[in-house]
Amino acid sequence: MRNPWAQTGNYRTSYRQDTSIFATHRELVSLLLFLGFLLVLPQFLSRTQVFILDLILVYSVAVLGLNITTGYAGLINIGQAAFMGVGAYTAALLAPQGLPFWLVIPLGGLVAAFFGFLVGIPSLRVKHLYLAMATLAFQVVFEWAVGHMPLLKQGGAMDMPRASFFGYEAGFRNHFHFWYYASLFTLVLLALFFRNLLRTRYGRALVAVRDNDRAADAMGMDPGRTKLFAFALGAFYAGVAGVLYAYLSRAVVIEDYVFAHSVKYLAMAIVGGLGTLVGSFLGPLFLVLLDVNMESLSNLIKALGFSVAGVDVASALRPLAFGLIIVLFLMFEPRGLYNWWRLVRSYFRTWPFKY
Amino acid sequence: MSFLLELLVSGVVLGLIYGLVALGFVLIYKASRVVNFAQGELLAMGAFSAHFFLVVLKLPVVLAFLLALGFTALVGYLLERVFLKRLVGQPIISVIMATIGLAFFLDGLLHLTPYGAGSYGYPTFLPEGGVAFLGARISYAQLLALFLTLAFLFLFSWFFQRSTLGVAMRSVADDQMAAMSLGVSVAKVFALAWAAAGLAAAAGGVMVGTISGLNFDGLVHIGLRVFPVVILGGLDSIPGAVVAGILIGVLENLAAGFLDPYIPGGGTRDVFPFLALLLVLWFKPHGLFGTEEIERV
Repeated sequence: MRNPWAQTGNYRTSYRQDTSIFATHRELVSLLLFLGFLLVLPQFLSRTQVFILDLILVYSVAVLGLNITTGYAGLINIGQAAFMGVGAYTAALLAPQGLPFWLVIPLGGLVAAFFGFLVGIPSLRVKHLYLAMATLAFQVVFEWAVGHMPLLKQGGAMDMPRASFFGYEAGFRNHFHFWYYASLFTLVLLALFFRNLLRTRYGRALVAVRDNDRAADAMGMDPGRTKLFAFALGAFYAGVAGVLYAYLSRAVVIEDYVFAHSVKYLAMAIVGGLGTLVGSFLGPLFLVLLDVNMESLSNLIKALGFSVAGVDVASALRPLAFGLIIVLFLMFEPRGLYNWWRLVRSYFRTWPFKY
Repeated sequence: MSFLLELLVSGVVLGLIYGLVALGFVLIYKASRVVNFAQGELLAMGAFSAHFFLVVLKLPVVLAFLLALGFTALVGYLLERVFLKRLVGQPIISVIMATIGLAFFLDGLLHLTPYGAGSYGYPTFLPEGGVAFLGARISYAQLLALFLTLAFLFLFSWFFQRSTLGVAMRSVADDQMAAMSLGVSVAKVFALAWAAAGLAAAAGGVMVGTISGLNFDGLVHIGLRVFPVVILGGLDSIPGAVVAGILIGVLENLAAGFLDPYIPGGGTRDVFPFLALLLVLWFKPHGLFGTEEIERV
């Protein structure tokens, strides 16, 4: 046996090794070190900066779910924000009843998963574009239904209580820090599940059905059930993200769960790299940072005095840059940021050799 | 009775406009299998550029509208040439995302002009009032839209039946490989389909603007309304787009007229087309006139 610490390159010789998550010890250690870094990071940051990190974590959860439905199973979902909204509104109804947040989070996910199951039913008959239409219709019907339910304040702001964890109150000062750790824990848990999904028969069935559902059928898989499973699971992730977002922003408003946000999550998944774990973090990271910098850029433009009467530069620059980034990524790097990550990683894995 | 008739008539007019906009969508889909999410933005571009030519440059009405059509067709052509040409053969999710991205891009461009916010209207060029038809009142704007849409539809069908370019486009839609081997430039046809889609969208936009004024969100919204229409009509059927357009237009007008008073908050107009979309997907996914896809392993 080679010394696993000094290993460079890929020496997998058995099936067991091939399905292992970490190829080398160095990878495992660097991941653990990175997690430790994430644990201490918020202590050195201001509240606003922690809030931005919170957003990235919560979006990552939603994008992970999207990577299951759209990335693994190939079912185009342009209604992820609506599933998030289902989770968020579940939280808005349950949390004021005094349920603890660690119970509300999975419950919100389950309710969203149920809706995901319902929306997935047309996938038994149709695929590709038609399915995208079904999720779009769900998004529109969701927005309309919330806007007409007095129970949900017709889409107006519903307050979320502050969370407490076995006597520890998350007050004004440490609200963002508290949700940083809660989101990080949830994200790590769900990411582990995501990573392991492909090592199970269910996960491999997803990919098989994506690549050719007839062939998968012939090999004994049930494409219909697999697709419904993918939809429900992706919606579960979205629901969890919705609950986290609701707690984080301390209110549930319909504007946070409209079509434009669904597009945003899809864009994050694509910019990160569709169907990849690392991409699910890189995509949100990239687009959230872009959004934050857009704000300062438009402020700069305003300060320099390049403004026409009646034009809001900020509201123009955002969609402009967002749309351009999506299209440019699709044109020049369709595999997303994950591909850059892969190149960097393989360089270090074989270091000091070229390959 | 006259209430119902009025709803029906304005529904048909609205539906014909939907049909026209959906026609552009179907053209692109038929030629290149690209799903165009930017149709609403093209429509807004057409409507606002007409406003620009009319109000800012003070051109005569007909000239301004024609220029707006030409301008939007050019925008559609350029979108294909610059962006979508490079995405041929990519998976469908990439193509969908690309047109969504382009929609946002155009959105941003429009927001850079004053047209991004607020409401605008064309200066009135039609006489007030309207004609009575079986007790229902039809405004001149609606009448004009009716005739213009029919004229456009007639023009398009002539183009596809008779002209060389139109036949080339149909051949590409039928079988790309065969068309290519017979000397049809597929790339040219793709770009042309986008130009035609821009033209159709702009025509729709100008008519919506004439009937009910210009507002960015309202115009872009019509772009999403295209989806129920094309799914109901069948994604690759041009007559389907027109028939389904009328059906959806009438449906949403009837819903708004008869159901809104009973539903607090109203807005049934916005949701009924999508409920119809869901029903169609459940029971007849390929729509009224769409070709059923037969898959082989």
